[in-house]
Amino acid sequence: MSARRIVLTSGKGGVGKTTTTANLGAALAKRGHRVVLVDADIGLRNLDLVLGVEKRIVFDLVEVVEGRCQLRQALIKDKRFETLSILPAAQTRDKTAVSEIQFAKVIDELAATCDYVLIDCPAGIEHGFRNAIAGAAEAIVVTTPEVSAIRDADRVIGKLRERGLPFRLVVNRIRPEMVRSGDMLSIDDVREILGGEVLGIVPDDEEIIDTTNRGEPVVLTPDSRLAVIYEKIARRLEGETIPLTVLTAPGLFSRLFGQRKAG
Amino acid sequence: MHDVQPEPIAAAVPKPRGRAIVITSGKGGVGKTTTTANIGAALARTGASVVLVDADVGLRNLDIVMGLEARVRHHVLDVLESRASLDDALVTDKRVSSLRLLAAAQTREKDDVDTQAMHELVNTLRERFDYVLIDCPAGIEMGFQNAIVGADEAIVVCTPEVSAVRDADRVVGLLGNREKIWLVVNRLRPALVRKGKMLSVEDVNAILRLPLLGVIADEPGVIVSTNKGEPLALDDANPTGAAYRAIAGRIAGTDTSAPVIPTEPSAMQRLGAFFGGSAR
Repeated sequence: MSARRIVLTSGKGGVGKTTTTANLGAALAKRGHRVVLVDADIGLRNLDLVLGVEKRIVFDLVEVVEGRCQLRQALIKDKRFETLSILPAAQTRDKTAVSEIQFAKVIDELAATCDYVLIDCPAGIEHGFRNAIAGAAEAIVVTTPEVSAIRDADRVIGKLRERGLPFRLVVNRIRPEMVRSGDMLSIDDVREILGGEVLGIVPDDEEIIDTTNRGEPVVLTPDSRLAVIYEKIARRLEGETIPLTVLTAPGLFSRLFGQRKAG
Repeated sequence: MHDVQPEPIAAAVPKPRGRAIVITSGKGGVGKTTTTANIGAALARTGASVVLVDADVGLRNLDIVMGLEARVRHHVLDVLESRASLDDALVTDKRVSSLRLLAAAQTREKDDVDTQAMHELVNTLRERFDYVLIDCPAGIEMGFQNAIVGADEAIVVCTPEVSAVRDADRVVGLLGNREKIWLVVNRLRPALVRKGKMLSVEDVNAILRLPLLGVIADEPGVIVSTNKGEPLALDDANPTGAAYRAIAGRIAGTDTSAPVIPTEPSAMQRLGAFFGGSAR
């Protein structure tokens, strides 16, 4: 059986592609799936940092493509999730080091050995983007409720449609209190502009900064509201129907006493 | 070293008078476009002539952040491919008359831009403007090369995150020899720094080692202003706007003070903001 091959893309950078890739991958692995995460951001890799495996890199994607190592030699097994591996990008090369055909071939090879291949796409719509989508059969578009991110996501969705790639949305970094005050686009706004099924809504939470800097997927943190959210995204991806939780802004009471409403 | 235009008779060809500064970062979403818009607005407000060039062909956003998207008729590629004159393509800002925007093409690719032609365009702009600020796309592909080609100076925007610092470090290496490479640390959350959950400005610059131009705090007002297309630098009462104006002053050389590192608001300020809504 061949794996699902999913690219995580956005157009705009810094909306949370890498964080989403790492956490969704960890959540899927936690549920027993065999998952390989592929960093397609050659020259500006970061997935290794977010997963805390940066010191364990021996070979990378470019070396695999150039035949300087075996694919399995380049895969780094996560120490916390037995069924999670990562294929790192090269840091000192550029995106033209790999062609679309070569990239797709690596993804095909990986897909034969696992259940999910998640591809972390670089920002932009240049060569690196074309590589990242070349091996994918479906896409998750990560966006934030900002005009510029939505415009870029719209452009990317157009490119995915040209390729016939189905897509779903993850709306990241939503600040409920700003939506309520009319200072931020709501989920309905986003859905109306972009179309597509919403796979998840992730609030802007300080926790993610800390866990990212420490190289630990937030999915590992017990009782974390973000962990719950990523697990739900994983389950929706598997086909379960779970209603989206509407994030409510913390009221005066919870704000003053530091309580948090789980999203 | 980057290419220098040959000057057969030095005296006959006037040296470009303006300064060309690229705003870059490697990592996306750290605030390049917001920084470009605000520094540009702040410089123009002092009377300098400023042109903002959006180099993000295919994913332009500077027009939105400036609130000028409805006025864009032509873009950089129209100029480079002689479908429009430079004057027709330059959009005048609504608020500051000495500020212009040159938008990127939205439906074209970065590979469509000829690097040499881009370099010449920046030189032409330098003859007409005091400042040419170039908003670089994320990444280090062709769009990056086209954005940095004409710039003597660079501002590296970085957030206090490990991944942003790593990408910024890579970009500094690629920028090579420029007259000046500055650092702006963006989206600092002082409370998180105090708790040891975010890198401090010192942590960031221990790795990058660049002259610090300014530090901008993470505050919802930036998102609001971006969505509204109104740069905070033009809001006299806004502290973040003041930070951008100070950055502009340091670039111009009129402000020699050291950058202020934002601190946490006091409990009273927080309560004021909470109950008053608009209080800062």
